[in-house]
Amino acid sequence: MTRARTADRGVVTIVGLLIFAFALFFVLPFAGLIDRAIDDGQAWQLWRTETARNALVLSLWTSTVSVIIAIIFGTPVAFVLARANFRGKALLDAVIDLPIVLPPTVAGVALLTAFGRRGLIGEPLESWTGITLGFTTTAVIMAQVLVSAPFFVRAAKSGFEAVDSNVERVAWTLGASRVRTFFRVILPQAWPALLAGTILAWSRAMGELGATLIFAGNFEGKTQTMPLAIISAFEGSTLGLAGAISLSLVLLVVALTVLVLFRLAAGRAAGSA
Amino acid sequence: MSVRFSATRRLGAFTYTAELDADREIVVLFGHSGAGKSITLQMIAGLLRPDAGHIEIDGQPVFDSATNLNLAPQERGVGYVVQDLALFKHMTVGENVAFGIPKGRDRAPRVAELLALLGLSGFDGRKPRTLSGGQQQRVALARALAREARLLLLDEPFSALDDSLRSGLRRELLRLKDELGLTILFVTHDLREAHLLAGRLAVFDEGQLLQFGPRDDVFRRPLSRRVGELTGVTNIWRGIVTATTSQSMTLDTGGMELHAPVPDVVLPPGTEVDVLVRAERINLRRDHATGANILRAAIIEEFAYGATHTLRLQPAGPGPVLEVEIASRPYEVLGVADRKNWSIELPVEDIHVVRAS
Repeated sequence: MTRARTADRGVVTIVGLLIFAFALFFVLPFAGLIDRAIDDGQAWQLWRTETARNALVLSLWTSTVSVIIAIIFGTPVAFVLARANFRGKALLDAVIDLPIVLPPTVAGVALLTAFGRRGLIGEPLESWTGITLGFTTTAVIMAQVLVSAPFFVRAAKSGFEAVDSNVERVAWTLGASRVRTFFRVILPQAWPALLAGTILAWSRAMGELGATLIFAGNFEGKTQTMPLAIISAFEGSTLGLAGAISLSLVLLVVALTVLVLFRLAAGRAAGSA
Repeated sequence: MSVRFSATRRLGAFTYTAELDADREIVVLFGHSGAGKSITLQMIAGLLRPDAGHIEIDGQPVFDSATNLNLAPQERGVGYVVQDLALFKHMTVGENVAFGIPKGRDRAPRVAELLALLGLSGFDGRKPRTLSGGQQQRVALARALAREARLLLLDEPFSALDDSLRSGLRRELLRLKDELGLTILFVTHDLREAHLLAGRLAVFDEGQLLQFGPRDDVFRRPLSRRVGELTGVTNIWRGIVTATTSQSMTLDTGGMELHAPVPDVVLPPGTEVDVLVRAERINLRRDHATGANILRAAIIEEFAYGATHTLRLQPAGPGPVLEVEIASRPYEVLGVADRKNWSIELPVEDIHVVRAS
């Protein structure tokens, strides 16, 4: 055997071991979770407690509302970022990206200083209208929008960018208004990216913890979403450690479903291109 | 349908200026990429606003900087086809073609008619990506024609296709022009394509329209050295006028004496000039004839292009190296491959002289 081949073999073995160890590291925690849940044997009862159910329902509907808001506001923003050239575009782009790289706790503190009772907007808002935003379900949604919408905007922007701008211009010369061009020509070509962005944003909203905890607090039935319920369970609420494990399993199932949907959407996107 | 166009616009380092018109003919906009050809089409289509100028389609102004008139692309009624075709890939062929037909009109028969016109009958249910490049090209043309557009703006529509497909489509375009009475502005950087399609030719360079006129005028009598270079003149020599009579002009071209026709603008003796001679206009002769513009030269290099051969010859006396293009049949009949020394004839009427630039 030549030296080159011996060296190649060595490298192949090392790469194989690295892949195996890395994969193991990803799989083991979930295996542990499932193993523990089976050991405890009370996962099913715990899923059915009111605390767990409240948290799940709150998480599901707030994250859905958050994503709808992200789509309504984020789609035009993404389209403008993808197509138009204007002063301050790079800045706007960076500001929208900020929550992606920022720790969510910082986002929470920032929200509190802006919209809290003593906040920049929160204080005059309360004195004029009596409306308080902090520590309400609205605050949960605001926190989720702030941290999850950038994921949608990012995906939608690259989706719009991938649509040949000549397609748009040709549609205009064919008499189509900008609105008709958007809905009949651009959106049908960009939708897989928008769908992927929606799923990403939704799962990010489902998992939101830091910003919610700081800006919305942890009140069962009002602001206690699944991740907050898990934290509470750890810190000794009625659910206990077994409850934390059981809630984690629920989120794991949700996450897996999302991942499968995401892959399907991405596959459709690749297929239609 | 006719178009009249004049516009200027600042474009980064240079200023775009052009003025041209077309009426039931193919006007080819020719030049390197970035020369200003595509910009011209975009301005006519309403996709790019000139800084100043006036554009009329069928006698109706669609842009006028003086009166601040600027119709949207939707209102200009021109067919616009780009190099990448920009087909709506999520729609079927039929839906693509129907897209531009106004609502309320009976779309189906019109679509069928257009598909038949372009040899696409039976394809209306197919998605564009399942079609060949040439078929996709036809879909783009059918779509552009669907709004009854009689002015077509075609931006290098064939350049992504194979040679064999291109020649077929070019002929088809000529047929469509005649059948439908179309006015076509056709952008290309392909000299052969320009030659085949152009009724009139507009040569662009660095944002400037250098020359606009009947195709053969531009090819045979370029207004400047640059137009000659762009349109494929390979023999371009610096020379000096030595004598001018009412019938002809005598030139000294690096020691080689040439006779040329008297140009429209008289160039007095001593004027520095550029002499342009197309390689395919020069004759090779076996005999030892003497006369105006006949000289002895030896082949120093040759290149075979299949249908034609390009020869480079060094004159026996003083003078620049000459490039001669000869079709493969005469090349064989004359026996060029076996012989080095030739008589070269540069026909007087094919010597084109412009003031040196």
